[in-house]
Amino acid sequence: MSCPARLAPVLLASLLGSACSAVTPSSPNPSEGSMPTRRILVNGVRVVVQEFHASDVVAVQLWVGVGARDEASSELGLAHYLEHMLFKGTVTRAPGFVEREVEGVGGRINAGTSLDYTYYHTVLPAPRAIPAVEMLADMSVNSTLSEKTLDLEKRVVLEEMRLGEDNPRRRLSRQLYELLFDGHPYGRPVIGTSELIQVLTRETLVGFYRRHYVPESFVLVVVGPIIASEVLAAAERTLGRLPRSGLKRLPLSAPDAGRSARLEIERPGTQAYLGMAWLGPKLDHADTPVVDLLVSILGQSRSSRLPQMLRERLGLVSSVSTAYSALEAAGAVTVTAQLEPANLARAEAQILRELQRVRERGVTDAELRRAVTAAEARYAFSTETAEGRAYAFGRAETVWRLEEELAYVDRLRSVTPAQIRSAARRYLDPERYARLAFVPPAR
Amino acid sequence: MTPGRSSAMLASLAALVAAAGTAVAQPPSVTRHVLPNGMAVVVRENPVAPVVTASLQVRAGSRFETAETAGITNFLVRTMIRGTARRSGTQVAETAEDIGGTLDASGEVESAEIRGEALARHWEELLGLIAEVALEPSLRGEEIERERRLVLSQIKTRAETPFSLSLDTLLRELYGSHPYAWHSLGLKSAVERLGRAQLAAHYRAVFRADRAVLAVSGQVSRERVVRAAERLFTKLPRSGAHEVGAAPPAAPSGERRVLERPAQQAQILAGYLGPGLNDPAYPAFRVLGAVLGAGTAGRLFAELRERRGLAYSLGALTPFRTGPSFLVTYLGTAPENSAAAEAGLLAELEKLRRAPVSDEELARAKAYLLGSFALDRRTNARQAWHLAFFEVIGVGWDFPERYARALEAVTTADVEAVAQRYLNRPSIVVLQPPPR
Repeated sequence: MSCPARLAPVLLASLLGSACSAVTPSSPNPSEGSMPTRRILVNGVRVVVQEFHASDVVAVQLWVGVGARDEASSELGLAHYLEHMLFKGTVTRAPGFVEREVEGVGGRINAGTSLDYTYYHTVLPAPRAIPAVEMLADMSVNSTLSEKTLDLEKRVVLEEMRLGEDNPRRRLSRQLYELLFDGHPYGRPVIGTSELIQVLTRETLVGFYRRHYVPESFVLVVVGPIIASEVLAAAERTLGRLPRSGLKRLPLSAPDAGRSARLEIERPGTQAYLGMAWLGPKLDHADTPVVDLLVSILGQSRSSRLPQMLRERLGLVSSVSTAYSALEAAGAVTVTAQLEPANLARAEAQILRELQRVRERGVTDAELRRAVTAAEARYAFSTETAEGRAYAFGRAETVWRLEEELAYVDRLRSVTPAQIRSAARRYLDPERYARLAFVPPAR
Repeated sequence: MTPGRSSAMLASLAALVAAAGTAVAQPPSVTRHVLPNGMAVVVRENPVAPVVTASLQVRAGSRFETAETAGITNFLVRTMIRGTARRSGTQVAETAEDIGGTLDASGEVESAEIRGEALARHWEELLGLIAEVALEPSLRGEEIERERRLVLSQIKTRAETPFSLSLDTLLRELYGSHPYAWHSLGLKSAVERLGRAQLAAHYRAVFRADRAVLAVSGQVSRERVVRAAERLFTKLPRSGAHEVGAAPPAAPSGERRVLERPAQQAQILAGYLGPGLNDPAYPAFRVLGAVLGAGTAGRLFAELRERRGLAYSLGALTPFRTGPSFLVTYLGTAPENSAAAEAGLLAELEKLRRAPVSDEELARAKAYLLGSFALDRRTNARQAWHLAFFEVIGVGWDFPERYARALEAVTTADVEAVAQRYLNRPSIVVLQPPPR
């Protein structure tokens, strides 16, 4: 129901077992839960289950390998629209099932659509785990997508678009991607366009649903105080019975080399927003951990370089931060700032100077050590809850590989300052980047 | 509702509530200890992940401010993490990051917090850093000016964001001269003028052992945490000279205010004052809010979003307040639907006043509230915040357990009574783009 921002790579090497098809033994430390089990059902549905006894709450998530990048230019926004519509009822579940089966027992359910995937996530009291698997399986292939609810939901999605327009940070992020990935599927708005949504027909939506919501696209993840064999059995008798579709998701080509583009847009208010973006390595590239650490050192903590220089020393911005989004077919490194309009040019120049400094002189051992520790801590904090673990497993299984995740923190630990300097030279060209600014209207 | 469903629901809720750790009687994982100087330390041992979080809260915040000092608490604690007698602000940040953590601070309405998190093996360094910031802040002039600039920018951002501007306007309409009328960031006029002497005096008044609580949650040993806290916080003075006066009474305007701002969506908010969290009517008031705004079956979602497609974001807010709390309902809609949406929102409020809620609605609202409350307290950071917050405002760290029981006991008659008592003459704020 929500449309989360594109997500930075999750630094989660984890307690994952390798890609085996047998149930793995329990971990010796009960506080960390048993090792997760990964199984591929006969029709291609992947299932990841972890027994985790931190609380009586279970996280049940269904990941679907479809996102905005899978849409044809006439289908913009369909992945997101479907995500809304899957909450409206199935052949056997009347509208209101979310209230009856999830909220009515104290649980929560929501969903998100991104460029690479869609996922439905719920947390519930543990005894509801199997019914939740059944419910998600039902939603995934039996949603009615009725004409009447489809038309009504158009108004809701148009409101969601308006809400996004009134939020400068969300809008900056979306338009910066459009500028950076111009002409590539990653440059499309996940939420679609109002023109296409207004004329969307049931037939088009059902076609998209039947094409993409198939066993080969599904990853079911269940983490909590459950019995893995029971969950696997439930997966077998629900998602496991769906016929194979033969769908093979088309690989996405890499975007052309990063382009230089500059755009300035007037928006109400008195403050300015600046976004700068570069193409980065895609998720399975060898440079991914290096760029992760580079971006962390540049602007992901209070002591990092850009906040220290631009906000603390020079007072040019009220906030500045960096992000790295590692997608399946490409990456994006972004710098965003909020500032007084009069400081725009100086702030941009100073950001470029900081990038140049890293390109020329690299980073210190202390900076690198701190960035690795931060990644280790992010991972540790993400394992606190069942849904934190399920998210990491589901995302890895959907757009990456579990075994890659397993090695990820170790890969971060092996990165050297020389590699970081070299990545800065390769990816952060101060002469070639996409730049977008929101400025107050001229008086 | 069928009896079968009702009992299944209660069983499920019991599981969820127990999951939160504090909603069962005196769970062994949480202990409270009082240091010789009077400061309370609450520790929750949680072996789940190799992390630790700590929340040091003092009884201060916008509730205790005046129009002349509005924002002083947030300004103070934000400046405190910008340097100590021993470390610059950058060094404070680097020290926290070296142990896999962060250190942050904010002044809220009922309390002010210095919070930190770290990898569990560094728990003692984390507590040491929090103690250093709390006991030896340097409050250097240049750091005060840096923070002033950032806070003023945040105040400006709130004033330029349609929803927060509308909410802040409505709270002024509801509370009048009561300090709940302004956001804890404060008022621009006050933040512009506050000087070092005032910040230092405010620090001396509120960073006192008898109005401070330290809560620690994570992979730690309670004995070792208590021993470390005794050593680290022993110099925090016992009592403050600063006595808190009664706040002026809140006086809702009951008026309709229209703001014109360029925006894609109109914002419509309607609100009422309600009971404070110590009032016996408070649980029923929260249930009332949940009947309206909780989840997909809340009346606002069901009627205004699902049936009429008038909004994407909408809901009801009811906070924890020691003084009069509020119920604020809100939605964002296309400007051309503004009148219909406002009428629809007000009709739902009126309906609640005129007719009792059904047993099923009551059960659903309670389930939603109890579920939210339990789900919100599963991370160490949220646990530490809750433990310190309820302890420092004087209702005890185990308040959630009593609150959950009180929610379960709410009847349809209780909800009807609070609707009758509190839902009278809403104050309304409508933000819409100027006519073309």
